[in-house]
Amino acid sequence: MSSLTWRLSWWLIRAQFMTRRTATALSMLAIALGVSLGYAIHLINDAALADFSQAMKSVQGEPDAVLAPRDSSGHVPLALVDALARDEAVALAVPVIETRVRLDNTATTVRLIGLDAFSAALLMPNLMPRQGGADGGTTSIFEDGVYASPALLARLNTKVGAPQGLPSVAGITATRGEARWTTPIRGDLPAVRDDELLLVADIAWVQAHFGPREGVGEVRLRLAPGVSPAAWIATWSARLPPGLGLRAADDNLARMSNVSRAYRVNLNVLAMVALLTGAFLVFATQLTAVAQRSTQFALLGVLGLPPRMRLAQVLVEGLAIGIPGAAAGLGLGYGLAVLFTRLLGGDLGGGFFAASSPVVVPELAPAAVFFVAGCGASLMGALYPAWLNRIQPLAPALKAGFAQQAPSTLSASRHAKRIALALVALAAVALTRLPAIDDLPLAGYTAIALVLVLGIAAAPAATRLVFGGLERLRLSAPLRIAVQNILQAPLMAQVAASGLIVSFALTVSMVTMVSSFRTALDQWLDDVLPAPMYMRSKGVPLPADMLAELERPQSPFVRVERMATVMLTLDPRRPPVALLVRELDRADPAARLPFTGAVLAAPPGRITAWISEPLQELHGLVPGQTLHLPLLGREVEVFVGGVWRDYARQFGAVVIAAADYRALGGSVAATDLALWPRPGQEDAAGRWMRAQAKHHGIEGVGSGEIRELSLSIFDKSFAVTYALEAAAMLIGLFGLAVTLAASVWLRARELATLSALGFDRAMLGRAIVFEGALIAVIGLALGLACGVAVGAILTHVVNPQAFHWRMPLQVPWAQVLLGAALTLFAGMGASRFAARQATRLPAAQVLASAQ
Amino acid sequence: MLSIAGLSKRHPHAPRPVFSGLGLSVATGEIVALTGESGVGKSTLLNCIAGLEPADAGTIMVGREATDILRLDEAERAALRARSIGFVFQAFHVLPTLSVAQNIAVPLLLSGVAAHDHAARIEALLARVGLAGFGPRWPASLSGGELQRVAIARALVHGPTLILADEPTGNLDPRTADEVLALLLERVREEGASALIVTHSQHVAQCCDRILTLTPDGLE
Repeated sequence: MSSLTWRLSWWLIRAQFMTRRTATALSMLAIALGVSLGYAIHLINDAALADFSQAMKSVQGEPDAVLAPRDSSGHVPLALVDALARDEAVALAVPVIETRVRLDNTATTVRLIGLDAFSAALLMPNLMPRQGGADGGTTSIFEDGVYASPALLARLNTKVGAPQGLPSVAGITATRGEARWTTPIRGDLPAVRDDELLLVADIAWVQAHFGPREGVGEVRLRLAPGVSPAAWIATWSARLPPGLGLRAADDNLARMSNVSRAYRVNLNVLAMVALLTGAFLVFATQLTAVAQRSTQFALLGVLGLPPRMRLAQVLVEGLAIGIPGAAAGLGLGYGLAVLFTRLLGGDLGGGFFAASSPVVVPELAPAAVFFVAGCGASLMGALYPAWLNRIQPLAPALKAGFAQQAPSTLSASRHAKRIALALVALAAVALTRLPAIDDLPLAGYTAIALVLVLGIAAAPAATRLVFGGLERLRLSAPLRIAVQNILQAPLMAQVAASGLIVSFALTVSMVTMVSSFRTALDQWLDDVLPAPMYMRSKGVPLPADMLAELERPQSPFVRVERMATVMLTLDPRRPPVALLVRELDRADPAARLPFTGAVLAAPPGRITAWISEPLQELHGLVPGQTLHLPLLGREVEVFVGGVWRDYARQFGAVVIAAADYRALGGSVAATDLALWPRPGQEDAAGRWMRAQAKHHGIEGVGSGEIRELSLSIFDKSFAVTYALEAAAMLIGLFGLAVTLAASVWLRARELATLSALGFDRAMLGRAIVFEGALIAVIGLALGLACGVAVGAILTHVVNPQAFHWRMPLQVPWAQVLLGAALTLFAGMGASRFAARQATRLPAAQVLASAQ
Repeated sequence: MLSIAGLSKRHPHAPRPVFSGLGLSVATGEIVALTGESGVGKSTLLNCIAGLEPADAGTIMVGREATDILRLDEAERAALRARSIGFVFQAFHVLPTLSVAQNIAVPLLLSGVAAHDHAARIEALLARVGLAGFGPRWPASLSGGELQRVAIARALVHGPTLILADEPTGNLDPRTADEVLALLLERVREEGASALIVTHSQHVAQCCDRILTLTPDGLE
């Protein structure tokens, strides 16, 4: 383009924006929303990961490798620590014991890290204590006592060294199960992050009070210069006993990133849907703009505007919507990310970064990617209208305006279209059968896109099928006009219907998915909450004195079931799996676990484990197989007795009976209790539970409260989907109104002729409203069919592959049909907008200009 | 100038050709009226000359370089129109979203006339068509006669060698039609361009240098 043609282009863009302000602004807004959502998700997650990485480095230091037990209750033997320290490839081996303890002084649990002062100073300088607090100097010599992080000191409402008006804590009592340690606070940890609740002590003291007696929790290693960590890890891994695992330190960050990946991808798909909505709005806006300006473009073509410039002009207009929309989206996305992290931290709703409070830092490269995505969506929306503008024959367009039919050479035969549609349908079905790609349901998402394409492409055939027969019936004049128009103006009818097809399909699919999930969750809560009351202590065994009270004959509970949780690393690339050690009847596990299929009895002499659905999805296990668990320092073979539904642990869980665990040599340090009050003592039981929960800082609630809380969290998590559904429907209705209005504009002469022939305003208005209603019926019918199909893909393909949850499909028909009726009603309302325009056209003037 | 030889055109599925072996020549500075009954193919001939419709055979030489427009591709035909042809239509076809000056500037932009020359050229031409000071105004505020004057200015602004006019006075009342026709002929002669004017009006035809009538058998 030369500067002269740019000038002409700019005039046309300006004129277009001035005359179609609302449609242009809405298109820009939709692009901005899509970009902002995607960019905000990226910024929040990036900030959360950076925050996680910083927190991890602050406490873990920057080792090259970490040797740790694959079973969280296990340990690294001291002999192995010595062997590692003697290895010439190892520059530094830092033994660490890290555990969680409950402090008597405050109803909370904190991390207690036991360190070897000499080696830790080199690897984890941030954990070095300051003796006597702010007045003391940094020391690396640990005495009997602990050092507290600033956040913990604040929680304890004390200062060490110089009280200055604050009460001083002579000491603390840390408990873990039956173990207790009363000790003074010797100093603080000035370099630890402000949000860490942390105690540091000499490793020997921690070991003496909380174990493990025969080893350490893990060994953090720095390798000698020139040693390849990957090669060294591979060599040592082959020599390690089965209960231990060596991992590169970076794996933690990568694993954390992987944990939230599916959730992020899902949110990004939502952002993409918003972007595609923007693209659709650009499409509808530009198509109607092309149709309305077809005479003007034809004139420009006659005056010498080359065909490629007619194409380029519409694309440039699309870009002119996309560029400010995407730029605004970046600003909006940054603002959204900052606001979100300030209000809610770095967690996007999946619970992966619940404790982080990251700082959002905008970066150029991702901003550029999202900017290009926004512009690309806008350009994509303008592509078809631009092509139509390119191929419009000049002389007929100058005389009669926009031709709705593509030239015959370009329009495929009906037979070819049918074959193409069948192939698309087959491809969609085939894609739903494919497994996840790199743990992401990419084939499922593609299948969803194909279903929507299929719905839109089927609109003309569905219109002929449904309304073709009406032509032969005796109809009122307005209805006949409406029927004939949608049968004879397929492009505009298809465009108007396509907005409704996509928006209603997305709405139905979301409602179906949410309803299926909620019904399944409700049912699951019934199954997994058989007891009236529950107590839970996260990460720390329940207090021994409390458990002892439950054993007394005068306890208000008739039955108590204990459960202990141990984390097992089955695959170092994946998050650990929860081993749930439960007191249950091995002969009847179904009394406590909601199995999804048959429950198999283990062969004599073998231990049975019942795996959760996510574990089955992730590891491809089936009942009857053997599973190798890294348990109690060795590899234990268990028989997979069945698969149970679990919506609580996304990365898998295994249940084994407490009796089996004890038989393997493990001790059950209960972290969860299920409590059945004695009949008539429910109030006393409730009072006892609440008092204990308050005293020990643990959770104690009734099953009703858990159910209510769970469903309320579920509803809040999915509240955003209702906003998306509403936005999608509004955009669909807007598309209907805009395209109908454009269609009316294009048929001004026909409507004026009808008016001259005796159609009064009311009849003309009714004809347009009927037309809108008929298009809405087709759009809603196809949208419903596509929505149920997309809902089924989301429920049966995307959910299991992305989140490893399965559930039965549950279409809430009453809700869906009510939504369809309301949308039809709203569609007729939107059509009245076009009808008003039709009846406002001065018939005589229109007819005169058509001479 | 315009020179047509052996031009044949048949619409798809039509029982007989619109014209067959048609020949026509318009000399430089000559104004020719083309008349004929409705549906005989006057507009089709005009479209073929402008390169807006293909022909089945023949040549149509247009412009100072006598380029055969039928041998050009779509983009080259557009470039030739931008460079060498001016158009005046019955329905005015003034772009409603551009000002009068911007409407007249369109052919200058498309033919690549240097931008610094535009304002002066447009203002001078507006004065010559009796619309001095109308540049900033919008088409919606103009009468039919004024709109056609704008269209005439637009057709002449880039110095074309050929003006194609399709019923240029068809939408105007007789007095305005006379004024506009006089203006069109005067300006075309002044610019030294050739013109082919399609008209049903004997009055318009008689004002031209030569009258040709298109019949189903050819030009008379």
